[in-house]
Parts: sequence; structure tokens; C-alpha cells
Amino acid sequence: MRRLTFFLRFFLWFSGRHLRRHLGRALVVLFGIALGAAVFTSVRLSVHASLHSFSRSMDFFAGTAEKVLVRPGGYVPEGVLPVLLAHPAVKDFSPLLTTFVRVYPPQGSSFLLIGIDPLLDQSFRKWRIRGDREKTAERWLDLIREPYTVILTEPLARELGTVSGARLKLEHARRTAEFRVAGILIPEGLALVEGERVALTDIATFQELTGLYGLVDRIDLTFKPKTSPLDIEDLARKLPDELELRSPSAARDSGTAMIRAYQLNLSVLSFASLFVGMFLVYSLVALNAASRRRELAILRAVGASPRLLFNLFLAEGALFGLCGWLLAIPLSSLLVRYLLHSVSQTISTLFVRVQVEGLVLSPWEILVSFAVTLCISIAAAFQPAREAMGVSPKEAMEIAQTGVRRRRSVRRLAAWAVGCILLCVPLSLMPGIGGVPLPGYLAILLLFVGFALLAPWMLERVGRALSPVLQRFAGMPAYLAGRYLRDSGARTSISVGALITAVALFTALVIMIHSFRQTVELWVQQTVSGDLFVTTKMGQVNRFRFPIPEPIVAGLSQLDVDADLVPSRRFQMTYGDFPYEFEVMGMETFLKHGGFVWMKGDPETARPLLLRGEGLLVSEVFANRTGLGIGDMFRAQIEGSRIEIPVAGIIRDYRTDGGVVFYSWKQFRQRFYDPQWSGVRFYFRDRTRDIDAQTTGLRDTLIARWGDRLDMISGKELRNGVLKIFDETFAITTVLLLIALAVASLGITTTLTVLVLERTRQLNTLFAVGASFGQIRSMICWEAGFLVVAGEMAGLACGFVLSYMLVYVINRQSFGWTFLYTVDWGTLALSFPLIVLAALVAALPAVRTAFREPPAALLRER
Amino acid sequence: MNSNSIEPVIHARKLSRTYPFGDSTVTGINQVDLDIAPGELVVLKGDSGSGKSTLLALLAGLDHPTAGELVVAGHHLSNSAGADLTRFRRKVVGMVFQSFNLLPTLNLLENVCLPALLAGKPAEAARAKALELLDWLGLKSRLKHDPAQLSGGEMQRTAIARALINDPALILADEPTGNLDSRNGRVVIDLLAELNRSSGRTVLIATHSNLADSLAHRCIRLRDGALTDPTCDG
Repeated sequence: MRRLTFFLRFFLWFSGRHLRRHLGRALVVLFGIALGAAVFTSVRLSVHASLHSFSRSMDFFAGTAEKVLVRPGGYVPEGVLPVLLAHPAVKDFSPLLTTFVRVYPPQGSSFLLIGIDPLLDQSFRKWRIRGDREKTAERWLDLIREPYTVILTEPLARELGTVSGARLKLEHARRTAEFRVAGILIPEGLALVEGERVALTDIATFQELTGLYGLVDRIDLTFKPKTSPLDIEDLARKLPDELELRSPSAARDSGTAMIRAYQLNLSVLSFASLFVGMFLVYSLVALNAASRRRELAILRAVGASPRLLFNLFLAEGALFGLCGWLLAIPLSSLLVRYLLHSVSQTISTLFVRVQVEGLVLSPWEILVSFAVTLCISIAAAFQPAREAMGVSPKEAMEIAQTGVRRRRSVRRLAAWAVGCILLCVPLSLMPGIGGVPLPGYLAILLLFVGFALLAPWMLERVGRALSPVLQRFAGMPAYLAGRYLRDSGARTSISVGALITAVALFTALVIMIHSFRQTVELWVQQTVSGDLFVTTKMGQVNRFRFPIPEPIVAGLSQLDVDADLVPSRRFQMTYGDFPYEFEVMGMETFLKHGGFVWMKGDPETARPLLLRGEGLLVSEVFANRTGLGIGDMFRAQIEGSRIEIPVAGIIRDYRTDGGVVFYSWKQFRQRFYDPQWSGVRFYFRDRTRDIDAQTTGLRDTLIARWGDRLDMISGKELRNGVLKIFDETFAITTVLLLIALAVASLGITTTLTVLVLERTRQLNTLFAVGASFGQIRSMICWEAGFLVVAGEMAGLACGFVLSYMLVYVINRQSFGWTFLYTVDWGTLALSFPLIVLAALVAALPAVRTAFREPPAALLRER
Repeated sequence: MNSNSIEPVIHARKLSRTYPFGDSTVTGINQVDLDIAPGELVVLKGDSGSGKSTLLALLAGLDHPTAGELVVAGHHLSNSAGADLTRFRRKVVGMVFQSFNLLPTLNLLENVCLPALLAGKPAEAARAKALELLDWLGLKSRLKHDPAQLSGGEMQRTAIARALINDPALILADEPTGNLDSRNGRVVIDLLAELNRSSGRTVLIATHSNLADSLAHRCIRLRDGALTDPTCDG
């Protein structure tokens, strides 16, 4: 205890006072690390809020079920209930149906309607109606006794402006009906799913509303005590073949795994800001250790142990980490407001539907953010602390020969750098671990470290090559700047390393996002081709589960319109645990007007196979996740049909993180059963006439005939919508990127200021031997320019390598997809003047610092 | 040499320099009257903190007096600023420092050429002049060496060459022997005296040591910022 007290006191004397004396520098570093920590924390908290909301919803929804009976791609017939009733292992069962509905006339967005048997469901899920006990019992019995009654959650009732006893119209794809509000749910259990936007109704009412007579989505089961796996297998055997008994947690686990993978990806991206901040801490602690070397020698001479010096500098790093993290808390609370919405939207678009109610303060996430910030700050201080530890007491009496030591270390660092960069190759080729590209991330870390370590050698080379040229063309200030940076060694390189990291990230992400967008644009133009897309009402939100009613299909087929129709039907399936969409579509007409973005396979060979129904196409994601390749047999059970068709080609598709399988609608009907239409797209034959006008005309015709029973969107709107979602998804990345660049600019400011402060004597010497203020100012600006050019060039090189790794390693292992590699030279070229400008602005404080002390100080021996 | 009969190179009247220190002020030099004639070699003595460095900074145009008049080689430094002072430092004075103050990133030849290049002289001319000076100072074999590879005496001789590259009328040396052993200290003082003798340059040496006493035309002493004693004795 006494030793700790002494250490803290000594730390305050030695380090605390020094930091206070150079408060400006310390604050810049603190702000940098705080910004990095804030980004990291807010990203983690935002994804955590989605994760929490999703798993809570899934848990409340699953209730106490031990198994769930489903029919892949379709509905479970109620005819199996007697089998369940008769089986000795089954204790309870509860059928369930869900769909999204909205009030009529439309007001607000759609919400989830759950159809249950109120009696059977009591033992599965927790839900209660507000009010006294007797009345409550009557009200939920009302659901059974009185058709068309619903119970709403409190927030939903408030949103819809309704109360218990009131009436409201609910609109579904099939029909619109009036309901009486039988009660309001207490906010617990089932009432908390879907962001508390839920309504309950009796299953019979549900079936009548949706037309799903005798069908349910699933049946939840619990078993009697001592039921063995053999009993469950016996039950499965007694059920029809097309039905499957699944674990109720399967959907939750798969969704949670996807969100966790997304959290890791975003955490790694946000860690970049923290990583850049780490350079700042290193830079300042290293400066303090180097500039106070004589003081350290004196301390050693008067009895301080090497460990004490080591701990002093380590504690300096820890102090930055601690204060940075504390400062990050208010910054995070600002950032998280923006991120919460965009992150949940991205997760809903890419993976699973989430409804985030608000921020969830997770002690674990707070601890992770604190530990990571503290650890990287301490890690940043480690090397300077080790150097401080090695100061000999003898140095108190001599002038250190730093120049000789530096040159040797530059070569050694370069050797390490080459080693790190080379190691990236085998790591990039390694597969991900548990679906997470950990070796890929390690390769990226090594790439950054490698380029940062290469910076001193690179500066030496650049300085050596450019100095004579600059003397001739740009005069003495440029020459002196080049010569100084040539010999500036590791300290300058730290900031260049930070800049390299930021520029590399910028370059890589610009290339990745551009490649991704270009590929998505191509995909949208070809695969999402069509002039008007028609589906059932709320088809999108209900994931196209409800087919278009037969009479409407017949009407659509006989429309007097100069257009080709491509019908389609989508089935939501799983391949093992991997969710995917099986889409049957009017292949021949589709291939006439649109097409696929091919990855593998020959379109000419595959086309006849597709038309004859002897082959199907799988998306790249599906192929990567399942390992199925061209010629392999795809097998699936869709409703009552067993499908076995070889893979004819692999195509690119970016509609979700899940995979997609395409097959001919016509062949499906001939070989299996009539899949009906869940949607249809129109292609106008006459492309010379105004397409927009034709689309409007067709839309008017459809509305005149079927009112609002169909949802419609023009191809143009749909394609623009896809690209808008894409841009919104990457808005988070852009924000993170800009913050990383801002932190790197702080790094350049710190470095230049430090370089100036370190050289007060030299700058004053220059002044004394005839340099003007202008020449010294110009020299510092040239130094800034050199740092930036070196950082930009190396950052670009590093960024190109990184972009390859992001496109072909990280994205492939994280999401299963890759893109066509294209470089956005325009944006990259734009980055250069922006970064140069940022650096010159960053140089201004350094220039001011240069003349803060009177030049006469030079004449005093120190 | 009679300092009263010719226009002095250094002419100071009631020269003062004070520094703000919190709410009060600290006096660097106080009411100094000084005339130094062309071609004089003057030794400036005084204890640490007596104001020697402050006076030299004012004479070199590195600092501004807070009061009084200061004319150096016809330049009125009391009212000069910015570009005028830069030109003055380039053309009129050459400085030699106790800790040499060579730029560690430049080699010996480049360090010597530096003031000439900063003044805009052609590189070839600067190089020729530097080579001439370094030859004279016995450093021709060390042209490409970095300062860290030189001995203290060699570094100070390099600093003298640098001070001479622009042919200044006035050489100001601040404790030039402070970091040297007695043999090298002697060499440096002899060089400064030789400069004074051979080219008639005015040399002002601020020093604690007695090495230059016998070679100086006169000694002046500062105590608490004021000139107190016109002789080297005591």
C-alpha cells in the first residue's frame, strides 16, 4: 500500500506535472483516443441494442416450447393435431400464425398480428390483459367467444389512438375486416416482441382474415417429463414427411449469430479509429520518454529502479486510456443516437427484422469498451516505457548518441515490416473460424503494423532522393525539411504510420464500397430488371408468403397490355441452419429482358438447362455457405415436393445476407405443383415509348380493377430504393472513416508540434544564422507536406492491398459474397488534396509554436 | 585602438531589457552604455545571470530592447523588425555558440554553407567559400561528416566557419570555449583573435575564462545587468 501511495505521488510529481505543463499536446492526444473510444463504444452499444431486442423478441416468442413443428416453405395442416394429441410424449401443443397487417385507412407502418389459441397458448407464452383478474379472464375468453376481436399492446394502442372496447379496421393482403379491441396487454412476455408493436387474435379469426383455413405457421410443442430423443424420433416418424421438428432456438441462434458477426465486423471497423488513436498515445509517450531522457538518467542516478521508470510511462499510457474513455462517454451518447437507427435498419435489411426501442446499457459492453481502450493505451505506452527502462544512470553525465542507434533501428524495423506484410499472404488464405474471418482480421492488423514499421525506412529513402531535387527547385526550406525528415527516425514515422492507417482505410473502403456499389448497380440493372413490380398487399413485409389470389392472377394474365409478364413465387427455406430463398420465376421471359450477373458457369450452356428445368442457379452466398458448386445436386423439401436438381451456374445476388436459388416457374409447375404467384413483374415490349408514362398507365389500370389489393412499385423506384438502402448502409462506414481521418490529422498536428518543440534550439539556430520567419514557416509546411505525401503514398499502396483483402477475404468469409473489383479513381484523387489541405491546416499550430519562445533563448546554455 | 575617434560598430545608450515574470519584471540588462569600435576585440565578462547572453542577443538582432538606443554597424536595431532584422543577421553578424548548435541532420559542409544559402547566394559560390574556410580551419578532410562524428573542437571550428561564411563585420561569440578542453579552447580563442587581426573584424567574446584576456583590446564586465568595470581584472 505504501509503495502504491509512493508510486502515485511520484507519478503526479514526475508525469502529472509534465503533462500539465504541456497541456495542449496532452489534450489533443486525449481527444484523439476519446474519439476512437467513442466510436468503438457507440458502435458496440448500437449493435447490442439490436441484438438484445432481437433475442428478447425471439425468446418471448418461443416461450416454453421444446420443439417446433414446421413445413419448409409452407404451412402446417391442422390435420396433424390428432397425431400430436394421441402421442404419449406430447404434453402440450399450441398452433401459431403470424402476419403483418395495418389499420385501414392506412395510418403508420404495419405491425405484427399473432393468431393463437388463447387456451392452448397459456402454457407456452406469457401475456396478460390489463385490468382486474375476473374481467381479464373474460376479456381473453372474448377472443374465442367473439370473432374479430384483438388485444393490443399499450404502445400500439396509443399509436393507433384506440382504447379497449373501441373498433378498428385491419387490412391484410387478402381482405380488410373490422375488429373490436378486447383489451390492452400488460408490457411483459409476448407484448414485448417486435418493439411492442403487436396484436393478438384468436387463430380462427386469423385464418378467416388471411384465408389460411386449416393451416398454421407452426405448432409449438412441450413434452412430458422423461421424454427421450427416441420418443421424439417416434413422433417425427408418425408425422407426414414434409413436416420437420425443429429446435425453437434455431431461428434465434441463427439470427443472433448473424448479428454477432455483423457486430464483430463493425467493431473491427470502428477499432480502426481506436487504432489510429493508439498511434497518438504512442507518439506522445515516446516523445516524453525521449525528451526527458536526461531526467530519467538523473532519476536512475539517484536510485530509481528501471521498473519504476517502466511503470511511470506505462501509467502515463493508462492515464490517457482512462481519461480518454471517460471523455468518450458523453461523445458516445451523441454518436449512438445517430448509429442506433442506422445500425438497426442495416440489420433489418441484411439479416433479420429488428425493432429497437432504445439504447440498452449493457455492463458487458461498457466493460469491453473500457478494457479495450485501456489495453490499447497501455500497449501503446509499452515500447516507450521499455526504452525508458533501459536508460543508464551514466547518461546523466554524457551526450546521447541517438543518431547511430536510430539508423540501426530503422533497418531492423524495415525487416520486421517485411516479415509482417509477408505473413498477410498465408493468413488471408486461411478459412474463417466459426464463420468469422479471424485470420483475415489478423492479416489486416499485420498489414497496418507492417506499413507503419516501414515508414522510417521509407521517409529516409524519400528524404534522400528528394532533398537534392528540392534544393534546386524549391529552395532551402524544402531542402532542410527533407533532410530533417530523412533523419527524424521512429517518432515521425509513428504519425506517418497513423496517416498510413487512415489513408489505407480510406482507400480500401472507397474501393470496396465503389466495387460493391458498381456490382450492385449491375445486379440491379440485370436481375432486378422490369418496369413494374406487383405483389400482394404488404407482400414485402410478409416476405411474399401470401400468393396473389387466383382471380387476380387470372385477370393479370389476360390484361390488354403491350408487356411481357414474369411471374414468381418465393419460398423462405433453410439449408441445414442456413436460411435462403427459393424463387421460381418465369425464366424464359426473364432471360429475354433481364439476366443474371454470372460468377461461375457458362450462361450459354446453362440457359437451355434452366429453360428445360434440368438445372437451377444458386447465388454466390448460397454456394459459399453450403459448398454446393456447378454440377452438384441441390436437394430440398418444398411443401409436399421433394426437389433434386443439379446446379447449372453460380450468380451474384445481394438481396439479403442469405442465399438465393432460382428455378423456372413453368418447370416447377410441370414437375411438382402449381406454386402460384407471389409477385409478377412487367416488361413493356415497346421500348421506344415513354416507359414512365406506360408504367403510370398500367398502374392506373391495375388500381381501377383491383383497388388497393395489390402493392405496386415501378422498376425505377425499386432499383433506386435498393441503391438508397445500399448508400444508407454504408453511411455508417463513411462516418467511421471520416473520424479515422480526423484522428490521423490530429496525429499530424501532434507530430509537427512535437517536431518543432524538440527542435527549438535548431530552429533558433537557423534564425540566428539568417533564416527569416517566412523561411522557417515554409520549412515546417514542407515537413507537413512530406509527411502527408509519404503517408498518402504508402497509405494508397497499403489501401490497395487492404481492399483486395476486404473484397476477397473479409466479405467472402463474413457475408459470403464478393464483388467485381473496380477502383473509384475520382474519389481517391479527391482524397489527396483533401488530406494535403488537412495536413497544412494541421501544420498551423506547429508553425505558431515555433515562434512562441523568443529566439534569444538559443543563446542560453541549457 | 581609440574607440572615440571612429564611428563605433556597436553603439548602445541606456540599453535595457526586462522580461515579464508573473506580476513583476526581471531585469536582463539595465541602462547599458557601450561603444565598440571597428576592429576591436572585446571580452565581455560576468557571472552567470549577469546579462551577458541578453546583451549578445540584443546585439545579434535576436531580441528587442525594452528601452534605450542600439545601433550596430549603422543598423538601428531598436526600431527594426522582421525582414530588416533577418537581413541584418545575414549580412552583419556571425555567431558562435557555447554548444556549437550545428544542425545534426546536415553534414559539416552543409552546416557551413547554410547561412549563405539562406541568404540566397548561389550554391556553388557558397560551397567554394565554405571549402576555403574549412581548409583554413583544418577541416577539409571532414566535409561529409555529420556533427555527431566530430570532436568538440572540430564542431566549434565548424561553427566559426559558419559564422564567417557571409563575411560579417561583427563576430559575436557566447562562451565559445565553455564546452571545450583547455587545448581546444585555446585554439578557438586564437582563431577568433586571428580573425580580428587579419581581417579587422570586430569580435565580441562573452566568456568566463581568462583565455582571451591577453589577446583582447579591452574587457568589459557586467554585474546584475549593468556595466560595472571597464577592465578584465577582478
